[in-house]
Amino acid sequence: MREFLGRFGTRLLGVGLASGLAAVTIALALTDQLALYINPSSNVFAVSMSVLVLIGAAASFALPLGAEADHGHDHGDANEHAGSHDHGHAHDHDHDHGPESPARARPAAAIGRTAIAAGGVLATGIVAAIVLVPPATLSAELAMSRDTGAPPLFQGADTVALAATGDTASFGVGEWASVFATATNPEAFDGDEVTLTGFVTPEDGGFGLTRLVITHCVIDAQPASVPVSLETRSGDGVETGQWVTVTGTIRDVDGRLQIEASSVAAIDEPRDPYEY
Amino acid sequence: MTTDLRPAPTGTRRTAGLIAAGAAVAGLLIVVAVLAPGPALPTRAQDGLTLALSVLIESLPFVVLGVILSIVVQVWVPPGAIERWMPRSAWGRRAVLSLLGMLVPVCECGNVPFARGLLMRGFRVPEALTFLIAAPIVNPIVIITTHQAFGFDDGILIARLLGGYAVANLIGWLYSRHPDPDSLLTDRFRATCEIADAESLTAGRARRSLAQFVVELRAVMPALVIGSALAGAVQVVVPRDALLAIGSNPVLSIVAMIALAMIVSICSNVDSFVALSFASTFTPGSIVAFLLVGPLVDVKMLALLRTTFRTKVLAGLVVIVVLFAVAVGGVVNLLA
Repeated sequence: MREFLGRFGTRLLGVGLASGLAAVTIALALTDQLALYINPSSNVFAVSMSVLVLIGAAASFALPLGAEADHGHDHGDANEHAGSHDHGHAHDHDHDHGPESPARARPAAAIGRTAIAAGGVLATGIVAAIVLVPPATLSAELAMSRDTGAPPLFQGADTVALAATGDTASFGVGEWASVFATATNPEAFDGDEVTLTGFVTPEDGGFGLTRLVITHCVIDAQPASVPVSLETRSGDGVETGQWVTVTGTIRDVDGRLQIEASSVAAIDEPRDPYEY
Repeated sequence: MTTDLRPAPTGTRRTAGLIAAGAAVAGLLIVVAVLAPGPALPTRAQDGLTLALSVLIESLPFVVLGVILSIVVQVWVPPGAIERWMPRSAWGRRAVLSLLGMLVPVCECGNVPFARGLLMRGFRVPEALTFLIAAPIVNPIVIITTHQAFGFDDGILIARLLGGYAVANLIGWLYSRHPDPDSLLTDRFRATCEIADAESLTAGRARRSLAQFVVELRAVMPALVIGSALAGAVQVVVPRDALLAIGSNPVLSIVAMIALAMIVSICSNVDSFVALSFASTFTPGSIVAFLLVGPLVDVKMLALLRTTFRTKVLAGLVVIVVLFAVAVGGVVNLLA
């Protein structure tokens, strides 16, 4: 029984965990939600490798349980751990029972085995949660806690150079935040009309329109924020974390750029909440 | 003890049936994942899980690629084919291996299974370590992204490249002086090697490939899952402000950025963009330290390395890499 558990564990913790994650990747791609986690430019790579994992996993069903570790050879570990136990039968090898498996006599082995089992249960639980819990976006709280006060510079100087040519139609919050932070000629942008979507974060004299910008995957997400001032102070009903579309005009206020909002419309979270 | 216990050849129909069953299970998994019938979690837990999943989705393809390369190296490349191209002298071999990252298109997560393949093939432990430490930094993608982020400003790119190359060879040299390098490996991995050796005498290549696919995934996946979960959890628990409050002090900033690098576990080919967002408040030396330590010994990598190397080796690696990064960062701060 223990032997069976060990062999089953090998499959569950290897091919099984990989298949769970591969299935989630494919499911996200099918429902068009992969962009919640990774940059769409690596979608093809992620999905094709996931398909490969599932093909390998299906093929591994044809490999009898334990066949990967059991070839009827005495592996000679009796020499290293003299007298620990007698390899009376080739099936005595239980390579799946922990890192120290040949050294059954050592007391540390029992602890090691327990740790491996606990790690296995934990990893399985995490992957099960990943499969079962619906996909989600990072919260506004996390975005704010990541705000270092430093200007985000993901696109570097190119963005500002592009902005100088006036070709800003495709700009999102991330690009504008770079421009706002680094433009040496802020007056050039004064009067530009913009329509931007993001979520609300607190800021003096209005609110910050914030978006998480991602280079590669969500763990490298950095918040980008542009200040929005409200023409009418009555529109303060905007709650932190609420997604809004802001239409307004860029104003140069003493060298510091901000957006003067003519309209702020609350919207549902968009399907593509991140900028890449 | 040479009884051949390989199962008798099973009928093609039976094999096809088993594979069909496997395909059905895989299909079922996808359906469950699409439906995602579970509950939504509290904000923090959900953020942690989202971060962990994004790392997993991002790194799984590279792990698979690493496993495939490891299978190629171990099962399909004929004996001697690689070895013929290697220099004779030990330091020469390590110098070449630390440039292997220029050719092998895997990210740091995929390097671990690939290095295990090299070890199974008979490469020495210090050589595998040299490859593992050098490849995440000395590779074309990392060079391009670091250049995109920093250009040649403050010598950050140069310090990162040369530093990565140097620390890898330093570590290789230090561990080559170990009297019994094989004792640096976990018993479990040594058992796997012995199986691979024995296996190569008996089973067909397709079967060996499949067996290694199973074994390598078993070795890497739990560590990857736990490492990613840890990286996600730490990010939602440890406040960044605490680390960032000390940005401009030449010494403390280096320490803070090293701690940040070990915690955030970002892939080496994008970490320069993250580092860039700190560049305005942190010293250049601390940025270099971040870029040196992160790819080599962050929490995710340590969990992966633990599949193959003993804990004392990991402790050694952390100490050497961190001290080295402090030294390089300090020099950059003095010069910049």
